Amino acid sequence: MYYGKATDQSIQKRGECGGIITAMLIAAIEQKLIDGALVIKRGESIYDGAPYFATTREEIIEAAGSLHCAPTLSAKFIKSNLNGARDQRIAVTCKPCDARAIIELSKRNQINLENVYMIGVNCGGTMLPVKARETIRQFFEIDPDDVVKEEIAKGKLIIITKDGQHKELSIDDLEAEGYGRRTNCQRCEYNIPRMADLACGNWGVIGNDAGKATFIEVCTEKGQKILDTATLAGVITLSDAPAEGIALRRKLDGIMVKMARKAKATQFAQFEGEHKFEKLFAQFDKCNGCRACIDVCPICSCVECFTDQEFVVPKNTLPPDPMFLLTRLLHVSPSCVNCGQCEDVCPVEIPLATITHMVQSSVQGTLGYVPGQSMTDAIPLSKIAEVTA
Amino acid sequence: MSQSERAAVIDAQQWEPRILTFCCNWCSYAGADGAGVARMQYPPNARVIRVMCTGRINPVFVVKGFLSGADMVMVLGCHFGDCHYLKGNYTCDMRMSYLKVYLQAIGINPERLYWDQISASEGIKFTETMRKVVAKAKALGPIANELGSHASSAQQNRDSQGILICDVHADSAQQHGPTQGISADIF
Repeated sequence: MYYGKATDQSIQKRGECGGIITAMLIAAIEQKLIDGALVIKRGESIYDGAPYFATTREEIIEAAGSLHCAPTLSAKFIKSNLNGARDQRIAVTCKPCDARAIIELSKRNQINLENVYMIGVNCGGTMLPVKARETIRQFFEIDPDDVVKEEIAKGKLIIITKDGQHKELSIDDLEAEGYGRRTNCQRCEYNIPRMADLACGNWGVIGNDAGKATFIEVCTEKGQKILDTATLAGVITLSDAPAEGIALRRKLDGIMVKMARKAKATQFAQFEGEHKFEKLFAQFDKCNGCRACIDVCPICSCVECFTDQEFVVPKNTLPPDPMFLLTRLLHVSPSCVNCGQCEDVCPVEIPLATITHMVQSSVQGTLGYVPGQSMTDAIPLSKIAEVTA
Repeated sequence: MSQSERAAVIDAQQWEPRILTFCCNWCSYAGADGAGVARMQYPPNARVIRVMCTGRINPVFVVKGFLSGADMVMVLGCHFGDCHYLKGNYTCDMRMSYLKVYLQAIGINPERLYWDQISASEGIKFTETMRKVVAKAKALGPIANELGSHASSAQQNRDSQGILICDVHADSAQQHGPTQGISADIF
């Protein structure tokens, strides 16, 4: 475990916490370790981010810095727009849910994981763009377009305005009022992406380096390789992380996990108890069958969807037969990575991610499968235990 | 009398559980046949669908069965090691254990799904199982209680496509004795 930062002053300034990820990506491209990097680039404002495949130094630098109000999942983008990384080597910066989704997709032979370097970034949660704007207008009482930088750190939403003002609010207070992070982020227990090749972040960076360096945990050999490449190229400097830093990082993670478990219990409670099916059905009844959830879901990768079968979901009815969502739930929930995309895109605001995550949590024990953790666990229900005749 | 009126009358007079039963062609279906040939008596609540192997049963079939108004779904397959296709019943076993937790999670009592193994020679076990399951279904009550507001559409479903048509078969089975295997296309 290291502290690291870029050696180049301009990259340090442009990037987040020392700009080490930017520097590593540039080094990897220049040393021909990868053909390009999939990054999230800022769009019109800080509430806008889009996946972008960068292949040059300039393009990477352009995308430097972090965005907390642009929840984009890069996993399905690799599958559909980069041909599953089958014919080029790529690096991808990913949140824990991105990393888990990439692993789930590669288990389904949709992504060639050998060609993908996953540079994980700690994530304490993301906010929906529209909600974030509303929050800033309502609670900070400033124009959201005046905000030049936002940050979610230490349980606070921090913003910096054009004229240099710092303002902060407790996320807990915001969430109590129904604002704050996305609901799936509130429930998420994976804050440090240990399933990726490298886990980077600002947690556990103490002393003089605080805010100026990045904590790096190497999780796989591939992670070591990309770090070595950058070190040999001389674009980053590394130093060993102090024990207090490591302890602090672990403590922060522990706090977040505890909060997540609490959020899980409160959010699932709305469907618990008597008449559970009725409560779910009241939500399913809103469905207009647009199939957006299928489009964005990183688990949905079947060529022919079972919900297209006339005998499962009768055609031409509105709302669609409840079998539509029930079949999807049946098929997806054992592997749900709780990325929250389905809930984000749903035009009628069915809490799909909450429902799927609830089912996932209850079947997890029986199936003995935690989604998106390693390539070695088989997809649930895909393999039967060795039959002894 | 139209089908829906008929359904209402049936429901009002006496509620009889409808049990959607999947039977494996090689074991349980032959077992049921054996029970019939030996003129063993068993309650006529089952609507049997013959499948070539219990490994063919997609969990979706079971969920769809409940939503179409089946009060219980029974899956009968071969004993472990007897599968005609070597491992089909292991696959089924795995799926059933998943389905039970899934049903629990969406608010349908997992007891409503019954999975057992009956071989071709076990006609007696078939009749006993049938009695046991019917008693259980009666204790659990109509599925409509759990589906709630969806029950009306389950009722509609039942009228328009599936289970009521099976009722006709079931009635004739009652008249002619339970010797014939009853097959119906629920979907």
